[in-house]
Amino acid sequence: MADCYDMIRTRGLRKTFPPNTVALDGVDLDIQPGEFVMVIGQSGAGKSTLLRCLNRLIEPTAGEIALNGSRVTGATPEALRAVRRQMGMIFQQFNLVKRASVMENVLAGRLGHVPGLPSLFGRFPRKDRELALSCLRLVGLEDFAERRADRLSGGEQQRVAIARALAQEPKVILADEPTASLDPMLTESIMGILQRINRERGLTLVVSQHMLETARAYGTRIVGLRQGRVVFDGPPGAITPGVVQALYEGGVS
Amino acid sequence: MTRSARRLCLGIGFLVLYGWFLSATEVSLSRFVRGLPWMADFLRRMVPPDLSVLSSAAVGALQTLQIAVVGTTVAALLALPLGFLSARTVVSQPIFYPARALLNFFRSIDTMVYALFFVAAVGLGPFPGVLAVVTYTTMTLAKLYSEAIEGIDQGPVDAVAATGAGRLQVLRFGILPQVVPLFASYVLYRLETNIRAATILGFVGAGGIGFYIQTYLRMINYPAAAAVLLVLVAMIMGVDFASSRLRARIV
Repeated sequence: MADCYDMIRTRGLRKTFPPNTVALDGVDLDIQPGEFVMVIGQSGAGKSTLLRCLNRLIEPTAGEIALNGSRVTGATPEALRAVRRQMGMIFQQFNLVKRASVMENVLAGRLGHVPGLPSLFGRFPRKDRELALSCLRLVGLEDFAERRADRLSGGEQQRVAIARALAQEPKVILADEPTASLDPMLTESIMGILQRINRERGLTLVVSQHMLETARAYGTRIVGLRQGRVVFDGPPGAITPGVVQALYEGGVS
Repeated sequence: MTRSARRLCLGIGFLVLYGWFLSATEVSLSRFVRGLPWMADFLRRMVPPDLSVLSSAAVGALQTLQIAVVGTTVAALLALPLGFLSARTVVSQPIFYPARALLNFFRSIDTMVYALFFVAAVGLGPFPGVLAVVTYTTMTLAKLYSEAIEGIDQGPVDAVAATGAGRLQVLRFGILPQVVPLFASYVLYRLETNIRAATILGFVGAGGIGFYIQTYLRMINYPAAAAVLLVLVAMIMGVDFASSRLRARIV
């Protein structure tokens, strides 16, 4: 019956920041399992806010969010944790714990699954360690497991962050400008890994991306935001020069 | 008044104020020069140091070290809850402001004053020294801890929370790895300064090597005082060396 639900569903999603910034202004989205959604728009259009609202790292001001039929908005702390466990997140600044080892960073992805008390002492079940290692293997970094995270290059750190997200065994991966801190070569490599995860594992991806060409090349669906509103929603092929103009021209008013 | 005229007035004002401070503290070059022969005489009477008191000086030095180590470690632990309670990013304002005010109040009183207080309260010996070190160091470390906590990178904290981790797990995996090396470095630094502070605790009867320095100076036994000072310098240099090596490895 779970198939009846959208993977992600938002209704009237709104976020305002004091004193009077409207970051999201009534966003309705239905994202199906297995979609690779690229969220585009100018900086300040609300891309990051949208992604961070989906797992409530930012608390929405109004509106509803559901993940695979479970309420995200209004969820109790316990229920929110269960929902977050199903959504891996990747950040522009990688957000690894720099002084910790690569392995410890990836194991952090297991925190929602493992017994709480032993984890506080750094003890993880064997199968979770093996899973973490297999996630590192998938991003090609299994030999780096014992290195300190800040000894790695930017591209490698982002691959560790992807491994951390995969270690959650999530249904969805949210990626907030995952390549904005990386050069074009590394952008291809990171987007390629995300594409593989989408195609081979059937994970649903929601990725914000300020580079239109990259968004077009990898997304199966493009959502264009402007001033917190969805002004385009369709396949990459449907992006006409008129759509680009509507999204990017005239600056932020 | 123009900008430059105002600056001139301000400059003259500061000079007058500073001149007053100089005269109030009776600063006098000629008096210093007249004192030079006495300083030379003092130093001359210290050599050769009386090495027969080395063993009792070493006992005093060891006790100073023990006071500093026990006091600093107890303070390092007591400061943990206080540090989190006075971090702006962890607690809300009704907790933060009283906690900070408490720290600033007790931190403005020096270890030596606490020593006088605790000697009167629990009697002579190293124990009031430990209490004095604990009191002052807890407050300073809590302040340093709270600033370290406020200065952490929020990114990894968000990332750990986004995995579905609980509050304690976020603390353990997102916050602690960022602050623990800093905490350890602060504790070692405080240990170094506490050993210096503990050397004079003996002056007020709170144990350690200070007792010997003061006693020999009062008895006008300068060679013995010189030997005690040598032991003191050796101990402080040794601890500083070990501590800085350790700190370089942590951070």
